[in-house]
Amino acid sequence: MKILLMGHPNVGKSVFFNRLTGAKVFESNYPGTTVDFMKGWMRIGGEDVELIDVPGTFSLEPKDKAEEVSVEMLEENQDSVVVCVLDASKVERGLYLALEIIEKGYPVIIALNMWDVAEDKNISIDAVKLERILGVPVVPTTAVSGEGFKELVSRVKDATPVKIELIVRSMGGGESAAVS
Amino acid sequence: MPLSVDERWDLIDKISKQTVTFGAYKHTLKDAIAELTVKPLTGIPVAIAVIYGFWSFFCDFAGTLFTDGFMVRLFDEHWLPWLQSVFPGGLGNPLYALMVDAGHIENGVLVASDTCFESFGVLTSGLFVPFGVVLWAVVAFYLMFAILEDVGYLPRLAVLVDTVLHKIGLHGYAIVPTFLSLGCNVPGVTAVRPLETRKQRFLMITLLAVFIPCGAQIGIMQDLVPELMGWIFLTLAIGYLGFGFILNKIVPGKSPEIIMDVPPYQMPMWRNIASKLWIRTSRFLLVAVPFVLLGCLIVGLMYLTGAMDWLAAVFGPLLMGWFGVPEETVAPLIAGFLRKDLAVGMIGGLMEQGIMTTFQVFTSVVLLCIYFPCLATFVMMLKEENWKEFLGSIASLVAMVFVYGGLIHLVGIMLGVA
Repeated sequence: MKILLMGHPNVGKSVFFNRLTGAKVFESNYPGTTVDFMKGWMRIGGEDVELIDVPGTFSLEPKDKAEEVSVEMLEENQDSVVVCVLDASKVERGLYLALEIIEKGYPVIIALNMWDVAEDKNISIDAVKLERILGVPVVPTTAVSGEGFKELVSRVKDATPVKIELIVRSMGGGESAAVS
Repeated sequence: MPLSVDERWDLIDKISKQTVTFGAYKHTLKDAIAELTVKPLTGIPVAIAVIYGFWSFFCDFAGTLFTDGFMVRLFDEHWLPWLQSVFPGGLGNPLYALMVDAGHIENGVLVASDTCFESFGVLTSGLFVPFGVVLWAVVAFYLMFAILEDVGYLPRLAVLVDTVLHKIGLHGYAIVPTFLSLGCNVPGVTAVRPLETRKQRFLMITLLAVFIPCGAQIGIMQDLVPELMGWIFLTLAIGYLGFGFILNKIVPGKSPEIIMDVPPYQMPMWRNIASKLWIRTSRFLLVAVPFVLLGCLIVGLMYLTGAMDWLAAVFGPLLMGWFGVPEETVAPLIAGFLRKDLAVGMIGGLMEQGIMTTFQVFTSVVLLCIYFPCLATFVMMLKEENWKEFLGSIASLVAMVFVYGGLIHLVGIMLGVA
């Protein structure tokens, strides 16, 4: 098993990587830093697991060379769990990427990062409800201070592939939407 | 079954309605600072202040404190005289010339060198250039750069310069690879990847490789000719914008707008900055030091075997006639293929021997900047561009060097200083 860290540029993915592996990596606050991806090892339940920091991408329809790399890396590692890092103050944007990855059949765990920024902006997210709707683990985190990381690591094992139809149906889409 | 784009957004809309609530928006201090640094009226003065602060720190910390304060004294007053007294052979001996001091001819007599810029031995200049001067410049540059990166200032700078850079077919984002290249061109070339079209990447790589001097080079220039730095930067900036404008007109392809993400300001993580500084500095030491030593050795051997004199005789007329620099400049130009910092150091040596006028020093320093990227950058360009683009970059490079080098000479003649 491998773990892929995915998410938009500037959501703090590299700080995640730094915290999870303790390795030396670059984290820079401008787009396009992590063009050469980083690899490291993290411990989950007494086991060493490979962690790959995938370059930031907005969607799985690549717009530039760095995004192409991200999509290729996802496809090359079919047996991975994807930790999808979202900017909690811009959940909708991040959910788009998360849904795309879920649709491809990968087990996903969602980190609602920059939780502090969202709080500053007076945005509150019901993480428990979001988890119930999506059927994948959802963990609020603040990478810069390290909050939520223990929980994140402990919940990686709960990530399982989810059928997108189930999510659509639970939101009253599909057939019932056609009726209404 | 994958969803269509609309279905996906529709689903997200429903999900967020149930899980996300937006409270009243508070205008925080962070927002206020963010706005002040992006709006032109306040943003431009802030940008000038930031760059000025950057430069002052670079000069004072690296140049004045470390290089002039400690290293020049250590190397010129202790290390060089000590080696001159203990190294076997003495002036005129080939091994001594290679390792310690080649000396130079003054009034027909071979005399010993006074400084580590002049001596040009592997153990003298070869160690002085990387450890005495460049290391401190690199540390100072990357420390400041890492702080600017982590705070999140660079995307704001990109927004500010967007309009100007659009005139040369680039996006404001281009300021990031440009700035990064001022440290070292190699990561600068890698950082062009987020530019969308091949045309933009080609323009950017070519302009970087030609007009942006690296930190090592700037460190040495600042130490040797601090009074000329303004003119050198001005000349390079004019070249960067001017040739960017021309290339944008003649290179086929599009330069679309890129929508760039401007992240919120944040407190830098010191551990992050320290680790970045360490990685970049150690990479410099690993890559640069062997090349500087090798460069010293090759140039020394070329002098000893007479190859350098031969090259000087062959290229002398071109250098003198077209660019207006003495034939001795051929030696730094050869060394510059390997390391630009070493090459600028050699010009310093020539300067101290009194071979060059101020204008010639200026011209040759600018020429060194633009005539060819260093070997490491060259290899990186090969990796990032396809063959056609690579040949295109090299062809534009040659054309730019001849046109711009000739132009500088012409201006010099008209001003009566060449």
